[in-house]
Amino acid sequence: MGSKQTVFTHEQLEEYQDCTFFTRKEIMRLFYRYQDLAPQLVPLDYTSCPAVKVPYQLIGSMPELKDNPFRQRIAQVFSEDGDGHMTLDNFLDMFSVMSEMAPRDLKAYYAFKIYDFNNDDYICAWDLEQTVTRLTRGELSAEEVSLVCEKVLDEADGDHDGRLSLEDFQNMILRAPDFLSTFHIRI
Amino acid sequence: MSAYYRNNSYERHTDYPDYSRSQDHKKEYLKTQDYPDFPGSLNNPDYPRTGSNAHSAGSRTNLDFPKSVVEQDYPGSPNSTDYPHPRNNPYSEDSKTSPDYHRSLPEFDYIEFQGNPHHLSSLREPDSSGSLRNPDFAESRISGNYADARTKLDHFGSLGEADYPGAKGNPNHPGHRANSNHPGSRRNLGFSSSRISPYTDSLGQPDYPGAENQANSLHFLGEPDYPGAADHQNSPDIWGEPDYPGAKDGHGYSSSDTWKMTRGGNGPLGILGGETEDYPESIEMTSVKMANPYGHSLPGAPGNGYVNPAFVGENSHGNGNLLLSKCDWHKSPQGQKLITSLIPMTSRERIKTIRNQPRTMEEKRKLRNIVDKEKSKQSHHTLQLKCCAQYLNSISRGYRRSKNSLSDLLSSISLWQKALKVIGGKFGTSVLSYFNFLRWLLKFNIFSFALNFSFIIIPQLTVAERNTLQFTGLEFLTGAGYFTKTVMYYGFYTNSTIRHRSSGPSYDMQLAYIFTIGAWLIACFFSLLYSMAKYFRNSFINPHIYSRGIAKFIFCWDFTVTHEKAVKLKQKNLSTEIRENLSEILQENVKFTFRQQLACFSAHVAAWLVSAGVAAACCVAVYYLAEYNSEFLRTHRDPGAVLLLPFVVSCINLIVPRFYSMFGLVERYEMPRHEVYTLLIRNIFLKISVIGILCYSWLNIVALSDEECWETFIGQEIYRLLLMDFVFSLADSFLGEFLRRIIGMRFITSLGLQEFDIARNVLELIYAQTLVWIGIFFCPLLPLIQMITLFIMFYVKYISLMRNFQPPSKAWRASQMITVFIFLLFFPSFTGVLCTLAITVWRLKPSANCGPFRGVPLFIQSIYLWIDTLRKRSGYTWVVWIYQNLISSVHFFFILTIIVLIITYLYWQITEGRKVMIRLLHEQIINEGKDKMFLIEKLTKLQDMEKRAKPSTLILERRETEQQGPLHLGECDATPDLRFRRSVQEDNLKA
Repeated sequence: MGSKQTVFTHEQLEEYQDCTFFTRKEIMRLFYRYQDLAPQLVPLDYTSCPAVKVPYQLIGSMPELKDNPFRQRIAQVFSEDGDGHMTLDNFLDMFSVMSEMAPRDLKAYYAFKIYDFNNDDYICAWDLEQTVTRLTRGELSAEEVSLVCEKVLDEADGDHDGRLSLEDFQNMILRAPDFLSTFHIRI
Repeated sequence: MSAYYRNNSYERHTDYPDYSRSQDHKKEYLKTQDYPDFPGSLNNPDYPRTGSNAHSAGSRTNLDFPKSVVEQDYPGSPNSTDYPHPRNNPYSEDSKTSPDYHRSLPEFDYIEFQGNPHHLSSLREPDSSGSLRNPDFAESRISGNYADARTKLDHFGSLGEADYPGAKGNPNHPGHRANSNHPGSRRNLGFSSSRISPYTDSLGQPDYPGAENQANSLHFLGEPDYPGAADHQNSPDIWGEPDYPGAKDGHGYSSSDTWKMTRGGNGPLGILGGETEDYPESIEMTSVKMANPYGHSLPGAPGNGYVNPAFVGENSHGNGNLLLSKCDWHKSPQGQKLITSLIPMTSRERIKTIRNQPRTMEEKRKLRNIVDKEKSKQSHHTLQLKCCAQYLNSISRGYRRSKNSLSDLLSSISLWQKALKVIGGKFGTSVLSYFNFLRWLLKFNIFSFALNFSFIIIPQLTVAERNTLQFTGLEFLTGAGYFTKTVMYYGFYTNSTIRHRSSGPSYDMQLAYIFTIGAWLIACFFSLLYSMAKYFRNSFINPHIYSRGIAKFIFCWDFTVTHEKAVKLKQKNLSTEIRENLSEILQENVKFTFRQQLACFSAHVAAWLVSAGVAAACCVAVYYLAEYNSEFLRTHRDPGAVLLLPFVVSCINLIVPRFYSMFGLVERYEMPRHEVYTLLIRNIFLKISVIGILCYSWLNIVALSDEECWETFIGQEIYRLLLMDFVFSLADSFLGEFLRRIIGMRFITSLGLQEFDIARNVLELIYAQTLVWIGIFFCPLLPLIQMITLFIMFYVKYISLMRNFQPPSKAWRASQMITVFIFLLFFPSFTGVLCTLAITVWRLKPSANCGPFRGVPLFIQSIYLWIDTLRKRSGYTWVVWIYQNLISSVHFFFILTIIVLIITYLYWQITEGRKVMIRLLHEQIINEGKDKMFLIEKLTKLQDMEKRAKPSTLILERRETEQQGPLHLGECDATPDLRFRRSVQEDNLKA
């Protein structure tokens, strides 16, 4: 209890609670996880909102992300400047979206961003290729990968413009009921 | 039409003697030009290139014009730091220093646009923005229009409507909207005063995208006899020189028309990126701003309505600081709208909405603070009683805090968080779903136990007699002996009224028993229904468009998997699966021959026949065993003899499902999912029919026999069944699965490690739970026993899983399967239990010598007797009334049924309507895609033509193209956000 007071003010904690899907305890747990990543960088006092960023190398080495094929994308999407270096806010944001409580639309929005490798707000064939390569660790041949991309575009591209917009993506996610439970990182 | 006007103006420009001088002015032009143009594209990193291309493509109408436009875009767009530079030019300098502004600007302008009409078009916007920075000016302008606006309130209404496509939130370019409001206000001025103009109609139609509005409005801006000029003349002191409005009207506006025309023409095709998008936004913004004073009271009065003060304040801020960063999105009209919509919400909804915003924490925090501030401001305004508001506020805050701490507490007692994480990390979501189901059942049983314990067991414990029976230890297995005289069984409960002091409150055990069980059943029913509905909603959200495609493999990577080996294995499995799927898709047309089909079909029939036969044989065996069990027990005095029946039943449950799964070797299913479902149906059929046979024998043989206390006997039977089942699962986990691993690893290495059979394991849980539900009437302590067994089962299964199993190789539709499981738990299982208990309560005669219902002909009779006693008391007539008119009345249930049926029918119709709607919308998406392709084709064609054709004809055609787009859009009026997406998509097309 005492340590909680020194890390965050009451208002800060309340703000975090209102802006994420976490309880007070989980926020504190996440903070300590964050602090553990770079103990020399992150102060134990956040009442003055220090502008600290933990570099991507450390974020990506978390056991939750370490083996995730999309870890770099996740860090990039949630970091402020898209470089993967994260502030505490970004960090909380990330786990909030990946938590169990986050609604489907929010998850779908960020999943879309994660799969949109070139950040052009569309998932094009190139993005799909990247995704498939990461998913299968290069086990599929180039023809198979392009065939998969073609099929996926065929299936999900509602307006036939040759790439997936956010709406196409959301529409497809609706048809994959497992998405809600799989787009989830336990902390 | 529009092209015609445009050409007119164009010709007029050519009349200017100094027209050629525009080239000389190019440098200066450059600076001024990018001033108005960049607010939009500046802050948006996606757009600069788009914008510049667009201009180069779109504005080659004039031989020197395009060049300047192209160049004009480049300096500003790549980086925003260039932006202050153009502001240093005389115009913006002037506009910043407001006192000199009126005088210097017109003069300067006048000279300039005499020489270069295009230049003026660029000036048109800087001065409007500058004027906004000058608060007096803005005021007077608004008030100047005020009269107009009042006469045309409906016109404003249409402007203020949220239906403007641009107004729908697009999170990708939040920044630039705030900037664009100043040119917009200027244009809006035009709108408001254009009563005579025929184009007002088009303005009134909110379905047109902003670009179209803009283009149209600009036409009449370009008309020489533009009525708005009168407005300017009404306020000559502002504009300084009285001649100026006229001159501006004649030249400036028409030239701006040319300029705008090309932009407007491009707009719907989306080449202009952010530029196009700014228009609807700006209209929206200013209309809100203007509509507000009109809607409330005097135009100049600040602070009427909560939007205004913050709005204006932020406007000025936005003007002053044109380099808006992304995190200032809440100052944009879209952010404002969100804030406005957030304020009237309850705090819970508000927090939910804020949480669900796809924004960064900082933005969410700012949003929250702004809303809180506005909220408190508003509450001060509306509620004169400040202390009351504060009181309410503090109450709501306190409530929220206590709720937060409660959820803290709840989360801290959430079981097995770590174990579940490990399971998810190693085996993925599908296996995790089994454990989640187990945990859910455990919570369910905790609830049941809490209910039973507090209302039945504790009162009974207070009056319990001393137990004289000897405890040997075998009772744990048989459930008989010592336990018979404890609170565990029905027979131990008293039928008397518990009263500790002679005058103290009394507690009727009979009523408590029946009401507690009844309440528990109702609670179970609703909680099951609720969770079933929740899962149904999540997993069958759109059942008729289930895709068997591979998209779900690609985008449903299991993020829960964190274990390194598991990830590698999963990747490998996934690639195999994708490969299989691909070959399946490629060879989809390959059909089986007739002979193969026949073989397949006969294999299915044979499998079904065999499985049904086995199930029937099991049922017959159990029936005869149960029938002769009592006789058998009489001849065998050994206390362990009672274990025969549970042992046989557990053996059936252990062996037959494995036998069923061997059918998979013979049967061939096209889809693995079908195999799982078939197996599930056969297993549930077997288990439920065995339980059904047992229930039949209990209710028809045991209950009618001369057993001393048949309820206790049934309770013991159920306890034994449950315990035997538990022992068998333990043995299966420790021995069967362990041996299987040894065999798979050491002896027959081709078998490899086994996979966790989720379906079979879940069915075992369902079976046990069904037994508990049936038994709760006869053995109120069963939930506690089930709690203990589930708790142990979790760890046993967890350890066994970690040691003996490998992750599943198939992508399992876990969430859909869990839905099916809960449905199974509800339908045959829970409804069966309800039927059994109903028969027990309404038809059977309770034992005469034991239990709370002794001496009553039927269980339900206790309620009748209670009602009779209540009838004699005066204070309880309402209970009697409710009983007579609602519960025991056939008419009431008849009416209720009819109402429910009507509602169901209505909902069904609504669902049908929605289905049609979904289909239409889907078609519409496809059509829009076609539209888009068509427009792109047309555009590329035009671009090709453009190189050859004359500039004027080009614009004419482009104009047509542009009109086509919005018309198509106008057709689909049902979903405004769809339209917005469309326009955004188009903007991005060239990106």
